Amino acid sequence: MKVTIKFFAHLKEEVGCDEEELELGRGASVSDLLEILRRTHHVLRGDEKLLVAVNGVRSKLDQRLAEGDVVALLPPVSGG
Amino acid sequence: MIKITREDFSVDEVIKSLKRSEVGGIVTFVGIVRGESQGQPVERLEIEAYEEMALRDLEEIRRRALEKFRIEEAAIIHRIGDLKVSDNIVLITVGAAHREEAFEACKFILEEVKGLAPIWKKEHYCESKGITPKSRWVTSSS
Repeated sequence: MKVTIKFFAHLKEEVGCDEEELELGRGASVSDLLEILRRTHHVLRGDEKLLVAVNGVRSKLDQRLAEGDVVALLPPVSGG
Repeated sequence: MIKITREDFSVDEVIKSLKRSEVGGIVTFVGIVRGESQGQPVERLEIEAYEEMALRDLEEIRRRALEKFRIEEAAIIHRIGDLKVSDNIVLITVGAAHREEAFEACKFILEEVKGLAPIWKKEHYCESKGITPKSRWVTSSS
């Protein structure tokens, strides 16, 4: 199944793009996705606390992903 | 009114939109770009948002404020894009029958926006000052 990953702020700059597509095995979770991304993106190996949103909704690590999901990696926010 | 926009906003127009017979006071907070951050001269601010999600968060924050406080209406506008020193960043306006609730709700909304909405700020420093690095993403703790 294919999912889209969105990057923001410093993650976007360090990864070098604002989104990418990834092919995952059926039943993969957010946690599985992060593990794969950490292999290819050094910036994700740090200890920064990232939140994950699936289709715009904050999600837990054990959430199962589905075909076409949009997974956003959110660094600590600083609006206002 | 909830908005994420690249355009500047008119504080007067938003205040006007909150006026109604039940409202006896309107509290407004305007966050603007400060020309200094942690001792470094700021030239401009770059603001980025996950817009669809941030809009939903702002709607939810407004809804919770209306539920939690005795207020009549609340507006939240947050700008994105490149902003210069003294440009408007965020506007929070709350109309209530009485001032205490309006002040409290305004502060509640501001803190929720700062801590929750997927919005990020990057400070760009004045190059002539020879500062390294030239820019930095702001974290909530800084």
